[in-house]
Amino acid sequence: MTDQLLELLTTYGLPALFVAMILAAAGMPFPSSLTLVAMGSFVAQGELSFWPVVAAGSAGAVIGDQIGYAFGRYGGRPLLAAVTRRIGGADKVEQAEAYSRKWAGWGIFFSRWLIGPLGPWINVTSGLTEYPWARFIALDVAGEVLWLVIYVSLGRAFSDQVQTIASLLGNLTWVIVGLLAAVLLGWKLFGRSQAPGVDPDSSRA
Amino acid sequence: MTRTQPWRKALIALFVAIVAFTGYHAVRTVSDAIYWNAHRDEPIEPWMTIGYVAHSYHVPPHILHAALNLPPTPDHRPLARIARDSGRSMSQVEAKLTYAIVHVRPPYPPPGPPPPPAAPSRSASSAR
Repeated sequence: MTDQLLELLTTYGLPALFVAMILAAAGMPFPSSLTLVAMGSFVAQGELSFWPVVAAGSAGAVIGDQIGYAFGRYGGRPLLAAVTRRIGGADKVEQAEAYSRKWAGWGIFFSRWLIGPLGPWINVTSGLTEYPWARFIALDVAGEVLWLVIYVSLGRAFSDQVQTIASLLGNLTWVIVGLLAAVLLGWKLFGRSQAPGVDPDSSRA
Repeated sequence: MTRTQPWRKALIALFVAIVAFTGYHAVRTVSDAIYWNAHRDEPIEPWMTIGYVAHSYHVPPHILHAALNLPPTPDHRPLARIARDSGRSMSQVEAKLTYAIVHVRPPYPPPGPPPPPAAPSRSASSAR
């Protein structure tokens, strides 16, 4: 599957990149870092130009992100409302939304390029919590262009070792995601209570 | 406290799993960095073009064209398609390319200049 997709990219260039980035941003599992680094290598070899690659790739990614956002906003939100009407918990949802409004901007921006695997999820939760669309798209465009510029530049600079660079970037990204998750969960588990073993929620109540 | 203990245990298990996952990828990041630094040859993959293989292995492209009995003009097809179009398997293509690459590197003599573009259909037997 991956091989065939990469083959299409090699054959059809920018139009294939555009479509692939839409699908990847909408959540389809796809080796997008290898794709972008390979595109950078083709730039280094003079087969493609830098800015058209960045433009086609980020345009596709931004469109794909809107699919996730729309799914959350027009599909997920009515569903959530129906669930809270039946079983309650609207106050919890409101709490989550307030929390999300506070942090979502950072989440949107960084999940475009630094913690890419979280991107499709953040798109859906942004729509679900009705994060303002104008701000969403501004952060989205900034983040995706930055992603394209970084990855294509790395591919161009190290154009003879595309697979190693892509693998390194992929693993590094998971290390960052893992550290983030470990710090957040570790803080929740061990950070808030003075004595370990005392549950912070029960001591608050 | 006893009521929430199972939850806490589950979260601690999750925390341990996340730390293990992060450690695994940290080790792989380091090994990729070493691999990158050592500048070793990457495996040939079906999506690559002849141009990319030549670029990655630092060999002149015409050597690889000759190895696959192709004219020395730029060929943008991925190797998987070259294989299909010529009725070979991907591993045959890979083997021919690897053979050609090995035989232009030391201790073998360096490759000659590319043939003139208007050359008549050339025999590639020397590169095979």
